[in-house]
Amino acid sequence: MEETISLKEIFDVLKKRIVLILSLIVLATVVSGVVSYFVLTPIYESSARFAVSEKTQEPSEYNYSTIQTNVGMIATYNDLLKDPYILDYVIDELDLNVTASELTNKISLSSGAESQVVKVTVTDPSIEQAVNIANKTVESFEKRIPDVFEVNNVKPLAAAEVPKNPSPVKPSPMLNIAIAFVLGAMVGVGLAFLLEYLDNTIKDEQDIDKTLGLPVLGVISEVKDEDVGPARTTRSHSRSSSRSDSLGA
Amino acid sequence: MARKKNKNFIQKARTLITNSNPKSPISEQYRTIRTNLQFASVDKETRTILVTSAGPGEGKSMTAANVATVFAQQGKKVLLIDADLRKPTIHYTFRVSNLTGLSNYLVGQNKLSDIVFQSEVENLSVMPCGPIPPNPAEILGSNAMTNLIEEAKNNYDMVIFDTPPVLAVTDSQILANACDGVLLVVRSKQTQHEAAQKAKELLINAQAKLLGVVLNGKNIKKSNYYYYYGSS
Repeated sequence: MEETISLKEIFDVLKKRIVLILSLIVLATVVSGVVSYFVLTPIYESSARFAVSEKTQEPSEYNYSTIQTNVGMIATYNDLLKDPYILDYVIDELDLNVTASELTNKISLSSGAESQVVKVTVTDPSIEQAVNIANKTVESFEKRIPDVFEVNNVKPLAAAEVPKNPSPVKPSPMLNIAIAFVLGAMVGVGLAFLLEYLDNTIKDEQDIDKTLGLPVLGVISEVKDEDVGPARTTRSHSRSSSRSDSLGA
Repeated sequence: MARKKNKNFIQKARTLITNSNPKSPISEQYRTIRTNLQFASVDKETRTILVTSAGPGEGKSMTAANVATVFAQQGKKVLLIDADLRKPTIHYTFRVSNLTGLSNYLVGQNKLSDIVFQSEVENLSVMPCGPIPPNPAEILGSNAMTNLIEEAKNNYDMVIFDTPPVLAVTDSQILANACDGVLLVVRSKQTQHEAAQKAKELLINAQAKLLGVVLNGKNIKKSNYYYYYGSS
């Protein structure tokens, strides 16, 4: 069907279903707000850092290639840090009721390119727990790395600590509400157009012309009470209502 | 809720707006239909008009009654016949007895003059349906019906039939064949495209002359230029 939809028609469709669209938006934002604030457990984040640096006897040997070696080792350390070899110690120390692989999911490591500093970030529903895990991980790593590589080049830097006003990183209610708003609007507009497309009733003279090709002899608007004029129809009401009952049945 | 809405609609439909409020824009619209009907046929004067629709509740009876009224207001002698032998309503609109009516004539019990009531509208006579027969389609297709149409044409300038919906029963097809023209009522936001098309096909198959369509219940914005013209 070659049909052109004008901007006005689109606007009319949206206007007609504005209540639907608005209620969907409100519903989506309210639901996401309630879920974000009351249902989802807030997740806190805490991070500790350590540096990787070879202890050298003479400063003159501290050259570019040494740095490169250290940077190269960080990649290995990243794998190693998430190994049960390191994490089992953390679990034992903190009496955690999780497996090493579950703990791995809570820990993420990041280091800038060419940087010798590694940041260990831990997420947990409890801020204290996140701090403990971060610190213990670095500690465990520092203690155990000599056993693996026979080097002692890990130096803990800033330890994680509990902030005064911890704010959860997840969920972020504002972001969720914003997403819900946009989604609600999209679904609402989509639904409006879908309903319009599925509605195959005749609406105006153009529809009649298009479907039937018959002349329209007249258009009667909805008869409202004030149109009927001077009231004079009280006599038959009992009868007409009994009639409507049989129709409705 | 749907039930309540239906009830309201029925109650409004039972009011003859062209009689109770001839100056309303809606009455004006019925007069437009009258004018258009008069121009619809050029060679042969349309004297028997059948009013029908695709489905139930689209405003057939209301249209038939109001169109009959505006023709009568023009000075024509009009007879409105309730040929809906399944769900008659005309006797409610005009508050006449339905003890005798069309069905009595068709089975040969009564003469035309016995079953016609003068309505409160001048020049407008009404024939209610009468007792509901078990075989409406058969008796509407009988010779008695042909005789009735002839007799009515001799006595009246204009005969208007209110009939059952086309898609539900075959009655209106039978009658459409015997009438000069058919007025198809379509209710805005209710009649589906397919239903209207099917109704048109059925009527054309019955050799009916489709005069045109009346669009009923359209939501006309008050800002429309003719809406409050002349009314204070």
